[in-house]
Amino acid sequence: MIIWSIAKTTVGDALRKKVVQIFLVVAIGLIVISLSFSQNLAFSAKEGSSVDLYLLKGFGLGLMALAGGLISLVMGVSLIPQEIERRTIYTILSKPVQRYEFIVGKFLGAILTLAICMALMGTVFMGVIAAKAYAANASQVMPAVTAAGGLESTAAQVTKVQLFDVNSLMGVVNVFMQFVLLTSVVMLFSVFFTPTINFFLGLGVYVIGLMASLTETLAWHDPDTSPTILQAFYTVVHAVIPNFDKFNQMNSLLHPEMAVTNMPLYTFQTSLYGLIYALIAMTVAVIIFEQKEV
Amino acid sequence: MKVADAIVIQGLKKVFKGALGDRVAAVDDLSIQVSQGEIFGFIGPNGAGKTTTIKILLGLLFPTSGKLQVLGAPAGDNETKRRISYLPESPYFYEHMSGYEVLDFYCKLFRLGKPARKKKINELLERVGLASDGKRALRQYSKGMLQRIGIAQSLINDPDLLILDEPTSGLDPIAHKDIQDLIISLKQQGKTVFVSSHQLTDIERVCDRVAIINRGKLVKLGSMEELLHIGRIIVTLTGADDAVLAAVKAVSEECVMDGNMLRVYVRSEDAVLKVLEAAKGKATLVSVVPQRQTLEDLFVEIVREARK
Ligand SMILES: Nc1ncnc2c1ncn2[C@@H]1O[C@H](COP(=O)(O)OP(=O)(O)OP(=O)(O)O)[C@@H](O)[C@H]1O
Ligand SMILES: [Mg+2]
Repeated sequence: MIIWSIAKTTVGDALRKKVVQIFLVVAIGLIVISLSFSQNLAFSAKEGSSVDLYLLKGFGLGLMALAGGLISLVMGVSLIPQEIERRTIYTILSKPVQRYEFIVGKFLGAILTLAICMALMGTVFMGVIAAKAYAANASQVMPAVTAAGGLESTAAQVTKVQLFDVNSLMGVVNVFMQFVLLTSVVMLFSVFFTPTINFFLGLGVYVIGLMASLTETLAWHDPDTSPTILQAFYTVVHAVIPNFDKFNQMNSLLHPEMAVTNMPLYTFQTSLYGLIYALIAMTVAVIIFEQKEV
Repeated sequence: MKVADAIVIQGLKKVFKGALGDRVAAVDDLSIQVSQGEIFGFIGPNGAGKTTTIKILLGLLFPTSGKLQVLGAPAGDNETKRRISYLPESPYFYEHMSGYEVLDFYCKLFRLGKPARKKKINELLERVGLASDGKRALRQYSKGMLQRIGIAQSLINDPDLLILDEPTSGLDPIAHKDIQDLIISLKQQGKTVFVSSHQLTDIERVCDRVAIINRGKLVKLGSMEELLHIGRIIVTLTGADDAVLAAVKAVSEECVMDGNMLRVYVRSEDAVLKVLEAAKGKATLVSVVPQRQTLEDLFVEIVREARK
């Protein structure tokens, strides 16, 4: 009950932040504008629906990642410092509230806020895809009917695009999960750093995490020889910094070479990865916060 | 340490490390004991270490050294926090909430059920004079109204020990009086109140005992009667010689020669008569007045003395 009350209060507070609202409105606006993208998918439909509308999907997911990233950074860095600065923490921690309950409540609140933002953007995104798919299906059927004259013979050749695209939804889930992870990281940092420093630090970690394949390459060394200092350094970097790239594999704008075959399974794995990482970050944050003076 | 002690502070020291590596002892070798049922005033100039001490009592800050007990438990103990309440100095709350909502939030932290919360909150809003403002957002509250919300939240759990850091700051004179009455009614219910304030008239009216601290150190501790010498009478004489001085010294608490004025401090009317007897024909009586020192006079005197 205590954790839940703190979480709910955090959501109310976070959603009233002007920056959060602006990021959200701009992102939703841009997703709607992407409706105007004139990609004709009738041609690509034969290759299977996962490549359809790739521009639209890539753009939408990218936008959600950008907005989600900024929201989680802006929110995550100030979640705890703001409580200390505004002194609201004094009246809370002097009640029978354990410090871990406070941290977990704050984190849960941030995740809920992020979930609400993602749900709003995701709904619009899925709607845009459905609308495009509907339009595409309509334009595809029309010429087929007029050209062939007989319905039965052409029906088999027409490949309908699914209005509800499960893979895109999985994409949204991946975007969300990576920011659950990022939020946990900046919240951990916020126990030590001021919000401004933390913002750039969090951004740095996110960018390096996106370049996970690069750090992996830099860390690689011949198993028979001992690693150089630089290789050892990148091994540590690659191991410690969360792999945010994992969550963007389905975005064909970023990863044209990738083809994830089973998206739901893949999403389950990335989600698990994100959750375990977040759990570790939060555990460390709690341990440190127990010793912190407020 | 007796169980009956609400607060025990022994040799408390708190050193803050500055950004440049300098160290400030905000509290230095402070020892205070507050009995249950007592109204204890904690006063000192700005930066004396009052808020620091209070935060340590609540487990928000950790002592550098020294021992503490609050209601028989270590500072910050979660179970004990059920029986304690804290009003921080210039309290601040989530602005987007209304007065009612914010109190509801604090009630939930005590795990109160919905009907209990509703009843409690209406009662508290009434008690602090915000009954008609409960639905307004705290953003629209004045400083004094926020302070009242702070007081309301400190009464939610019907605490045994209240720790109030400048409860009357920002309040109008009527609210001052209300707070005084509140503290007195808490005392009648057997509660312990540990209150820091710069409003020395408030402290003087309600407190049983006071501690005066300066630069982290205890400079004076005692009951209001002891500190303000309530009940003392000052007999002022002129032209007293050594014989008179010796005679009055025997019956008085204190004698002070100030130029050719001799001020004799006594406790009873009987002693006044004895002083007059001794001075008869040898010195001239200037005045006989009851001593009226205020806490403020004492405070200024002590702090000035300590700063020399
Ligand atoms: N977090 C902190 N870091 C460094 N120094 C601090 C910190 N908090 C307080 N101090 C210092 O400790 C000393 C005591 O401060 P404190 O707030 O306890 O004073 P106070 O008696 O409550 O004063 P006031 O009457 O102005 O409220 C001051 O010198 C202050 O600068
Ligand atoms: Mg203070």
